[in-house]
Amino acid sequence: MSTETVKVCTANFGKGASDISVYKQLGGYSCVSSKLFDLSQFEIIDIVQRSGLRGRGGAGFPTGLKWSFVPRNTDKPVYIVVNADEGEPGTFKDHFLMKEDPHRLIEGLTIAAWALGSRTAYIYVRGEFLSCIETLNKAISEAYQAGMLGENIGGTGFSFDIFVHRGAGAYICGEETALINSLEGKKGQPRLKPPFPAVSGAWNSPTCVNNVETLMAIPWILENGPEAYAALGTLQAGGTKVFCISGDVKKPGVYEAPLGVPLMELLNSPQYAGGIEGKLKGVIPGGSSCPILTAEECEKATMDYESMASLKTMFGSGAVMVINETRDMVPLLKSLGNFYAHESCGQCTPCRDGAGYVQRILQSIHKGEGHEGDLELILSLSEQFDGTTICPLAPSLGMASTAFIQKYRSEFESYIQKNKDKKASRISSTFRPGAFW
Amino acid sequence: MSNYYDMPKLPTAESPKVAIFVDGQETFVPGDTNLLEALKAVGIETPSICYHPFLPVSGNCRQCLVEQEGPRGRSLIISCFTPVSPGMKVFTPKTSLRVKNARKATNEFMLVNHPLDCPICDKAGECSLQANYMESGHDSRLRENIGKHYHGSPDHAFIDSKGQTRGGKQVVLGPRVTLDEERCVQCDRCVRFMRFVAGDEQLQLASRGDSTYITTFPGQELDHEYDLCVTDVCPVGALTANNFRFQQRVWMLSRTPSVSMDDSLGANLWIDHNHGKIWRLMPRCNPEVNRSWISNTSRLAYLNFDKDRLEAAPIETLQSTVFAAKKVAIVAGGACTLEDLAAIKALQESLGAKAELFGGTSIPVVEPDGISKSGDPLANRAGFKAMQVPDANLQELLQKISDFDTLITIHSDLIGEDPTFEKLKQIPNRIVLSAFKDCTANAATLAFGVKHWTEVSGSMINSLQILQKLNAAPTAPNGDLKPAYQVLFALAGIEITEVSAAWKQVQDRIPTLKAYQRDSILSTGLKLEGVV
Amino acid sequence: MNKIQGAVHYVANNRLQFEKGPSPFDPQKSAADQVGHKYKKQEQPSLEEILPKLETPAIKQRLDDLLSRYPEPQGALLEVLWLIQEALGWVPREAIRYAAGICECSPVHAFSVATFYTMYKHAPTGRFLLQFCRNICCEQKGASNIIAYTEKSLGIQTGETTPDGLFTIVQVECLGACANAPVMLVNDDYATDVQDSKLSMLPGTSLNEERVDKILNWCRERAKNLKEEPTRDALGGPILGHKGHPGAPGATAKVQSKNYAPPSPVLGVQAALIDGGVQVSWKCAPDFTHLLLEKKEGSIWKQVAEPPVRTTEIIDPSGEKGSVYRMIATSGERVAKPSLEVEAK
Repeated sequence: MSTETVKVCTANFGKGASDISVYKQLGGYSCVSSKLFDLSQFEIIDIVQRSGLRGRGGAGFPTGLKWSFVPRNTDKPVYIVVNADEGEPGTFKDHFLMKEDPHRLIEGLTIAAWALGSRTAYIYVRGEFLSCIETLNKAISEAYQAGMLGENIGGTGFSFDIFVHRGAGAYICGEETALINSLEGKKGQPRLKPPFPAVSGAWNSPTCVNNVETLMAIPWILENGPEAYAALGTLQAGGTKVFCISGDVKKPGVYEAPLGVPLMELLNSPQYAGGIEGKLKGVIPGGSSCPILTAEECEKATMDYESMASLKTMFGSGAVMVINETRDMVPLLKSLGNFYAHESCGQCTPCRDGAGYVQRILQSIHKGEGHEGDLELILSLSEQFDGTTICPLAPSLGMASTAFIQKYRSEFESYIQKNKDKKASRISSTFRPGAFW
Repeated sequence: MSNYYDMPKLPTAESPKVAIFVDGQETFVPGDTNLLEALKAVGIETPSICYHPFLPVSGNCRQCLVEQEGPRGRSLIISCFTPVSPGMKVFTPKTSLRVKNARKATNEFMLVNHPLDCPICDKAGECSLQANYMESGHDSRLRENIGKHYHGSPDHAFIDSKGQTRGGKQVVLGPRVTLDEERCVQCDRCVRFMRFVAGDEQLQLASRGDSTYITTFPGQELDHEYDLCVTDVCPVGALTANNFRFQQRVWMLSRTPSVSMDDSLGANLWIDHNHGKIWRLMPRCNPEVNRSWISNTSRLAYLNFDKDRLEAAPIETLQSTVFAAKKVAIVAGGACTLEDLAAIKALQESLGAKAELFGGTSIPVVEPDGISKSGDPLANRAGFKAMQVPDANLQELLQKISDFDTLITIHSDLIGEDPTFEKLKQIPNRIVLSAFKDCTANAATLAFGVKHWTEVSGSMINSLQILQKLNAAPTAPNGDLKPAYQVLFALAGIEITEVSAAWKQVQDRIPTLKAYQRDSILSTGLKLEGVV
Repeated sequence: MNKIQGAVHYVANNRLQFEKGPSPFDPQKSAADQVGHKYKKQEQPSLEEILPKLETPAIKQRLDDLLSRYPEPQGALLEVLWLIQEALGWVPREAIRYAAGICECSPVHAFSVATFYTMYKHAPTGRFLLQFCRNICCEQKGASNIIAYTEKSLGIQTGETTPDGLFTIVQVECLGACANAPVMLVNDDYATDVQDSKLSMLPGTSLNEERVDKILNWCRERAKNLKEEPTRDALGGPILGHKGHPGAPGATAKVQSKNYAPPSPVLGVQAALIDGGVQVSWKCAPDFTHLLLEKKEGSIWKQVAEPPVRTTEIIDPSGEKGSVYRMIATSGERVAKPSLEVEAK
């Protein structure tokens, strides 16, 4: 592993690249020229496929493959939607990426638009990122003035518009079909699939939803070639990843590292997080939905899709949350329970009522009012979230709480133990639904 | 809800049969429908809450899960949204423990925030949730006291931060519908009904997560000609109709299938009654006619069916008047069944040249609403035509008043519908055969009480040329009352007490009906070809 | 029927507890529910009262701009609600109905949208809305203590407004700034510290009691110096230069044309001399529906063949050394620009 990491998305950090002249000086917009428009659409898609780029939003779907699903020759317009509804707890990379380097996103979008035959793109930014939206709007206006956007870009006959859409506070809008609903001015509730958005998405038109980081890697890939990008990562997935490291480390923040970097290097190396504060207890490797890793598991983990899968967790959005020995796991899981219950869109029964139910049980355990058997109850409910809902929100809660309880069971039990004596002296007023019948 | 998908495709008699594997057994099911309907067609019931055959699929209740074997192993799918494809392999709870557990879990999750107050709930007995729960919910894992906390009595109603009254035992949604918010399972059927069937989006699910609640726009009432249908589609007791709330337990009611005689579409009805009283009219599913909907007008008409009823009179008085007459005008009104019309024809024949037939109504014909009304108030107009009874010549009667010395109206409130018919008082003998003391009956010289259409067996042909059957609900206020056709046949000298005998008379007069026995008419009617 | 007695009490649900008082497990309220006055009716202004604030030329211009961005007016619903919140500070009922009118959807749909998203406020808030993150990262770093400290020092509970109308505290889910956990938003600005008399969130800084005090004092100071909080564009300022979505109702640009994005030209065209003519080869894109091979004769281009779309080569028997070829691809109704000209060698 080379000591100097190649920077793909974060190369322009701290250089004031949100100004178009600076960005151009740094070599930006070199792709949006004859080079891009001489490439055919299928060649770009082929390049992206060969680069091994996978979606950076969390699911890790190969980007080139996703693009190839968008139908050709439709009567309907093709939309590109940028998913900047960054809400996964622990994730904050897109915030910085858009703020520091908005033009790279615009450039990546333009390439994607050319590849997909799209005329209009929307950047869906979560409502809390107002300063990001201001930066983006300014950058887009600059790009219009510089002729990088608008009608007939560079005399090629290609026209392209970008609009920014401000969300209003709903984590579930990070799910692509929910995001499309939100864009259409509806409640952000995920849709049943099929049809997939690539076939019928926003306003029933083919729609491609990509994460900010994914699109920001595209200009580099076009510039340096797919092989160079693929060589940065592992065999199965190419490139670098922007990691968001938070929690008990010396330097929490955004760091770009090649895929396959060992987790401990990411935490301890001075060029990344710079060391753990205190003794390591566990790491949530990819955002709150991913099952937690214990300290022993962290030792052998490398940050790529396969290693994470072998440890029965997920690579996710690259949000590494570090927890040290002094932290109590019960309030942490409780706050996760709160989060999922609060962010459930209210559509599917298991999620709507089940997440709220798990939340209440976790709250009661945290308050010291837990019952014996509550942990088994949560585990068995978590099982029932899996595969029974439209989107993976409830299963995420299931996976997260299962991992927490299985790996740190004694802590939860000690909370319940507090309540045990109290409960023994109390006359049980148990009434089960259905006792009457 | 935000998501609206297509209407489910329902299987028909012409559906192609395709082979799928259900629990490993090859089964032939209708191939052009969804899995839920296909399984239902071969007798496998799948529990569901949000699925309704006449509403767009929503797929949010997750109750109808089955397992499907796909390229990546078995996965749970919702059967209401999955189209049947030949050769698919599905597994029901019969062989799949996973499906059984998943359905049970879904049911449990619904019950987390559902009060299970079935003993005081109007929907008990016809509640989907209750049915599912009886099947799977008996041994719940759930801890008590952990559901959402409702303040369940009227004085606990609170005003939320949006300024809306919520959480009380009843929330008045509109003039006819009451909401018990704690029972709602957020299936959004009512939302879809108002949006896609009624065409006026007045209801929505607001907020999110388990604080989702059903609401109108704050300060606005749910008010629509079809708003009571939301109480039918509600799978639980959340939306209840004010007219039936706390009136009867549904299992105490007897149901008589009949047809609404206030519109020529002939919306199919259930007459729910006991102890000689009608408690409610409910739509009866007929995919060809009114699907599952009826208008408030038809539904609430029953409130007056036992009011202002006419008493029966001895038939001899009628006979003496009619046969003493020199020139008789016979007027057939909107609610006349085919049997009534046959009796009118028989009477006309027995009176010979001195009788003249009139028919129709003064209520204007309006545009069809596309749901359960054709807009034509003369319910049996196709029957009038088939029987060759005039169906729109009341104005002629007005012009020829002086010709007649006797007027017989049958189920026809001439004066009530159009006051210009007051002139009919110039006719010296005015006989009215009607169920009600209406304006015409009050102006009559002889008002003769007969049974109302809910109380008679008979038949009618609707505007779609479907022969439909009325069945008598035993709700006549007075045992002496007879159906109009029985009285008229008696006047004509034909002794008929059974509806089957009257049906024979109908067949004699409409030859194309010869082929059909009354008993062979299905409850959803019989499509006629070329009667009129 | 205030109290249900006897048997009904037992069967009428474990949760309809008429006599037991509130449930011990009242979940934490969502951010939208926190703002406002629980159990107090929010006075709703009438349409006449809010219209003067909404029907200004500036807002009208921005509404036109918004509506031109989407193929259907309803797409702008979220943005229109933002504009309303910017103008009024919150979204009263009649304003929601007004937004529904602009976006051509039913009022109840707009209401359901306005209640689904937690950032729309259904009651007026204080001048400084303090949104504290309570999610896992912040919780880990002691957010609950910070919230409790702020509540204590302001003397209010979460969801309440101070009597002087300056501060409202709400707890929200992840704010997406976990490196600085615990964090807060003051109105629309991230804040973990005050630097150069501005709110700031520098890397490595996070909230603690001292910094909370600093931020609160900054707010008070600002309230003294500035009579009113300057309005901040809820949509982050204008996007200059765009001409709207081509299909938008009333869009300023031309209507959606089918050739807005032409297909790529045929690439990699090569012409090689072989026995019996010239073999022309090229790369074929999957979206081509029609291909034309043209040869230059003098100064005019003449069509010589229409190769099938899936093929990648064809032989022109009439070709000879020096013939110049080009290809034109069509995708549906969209015609690409001609390929580069190649000479047979």
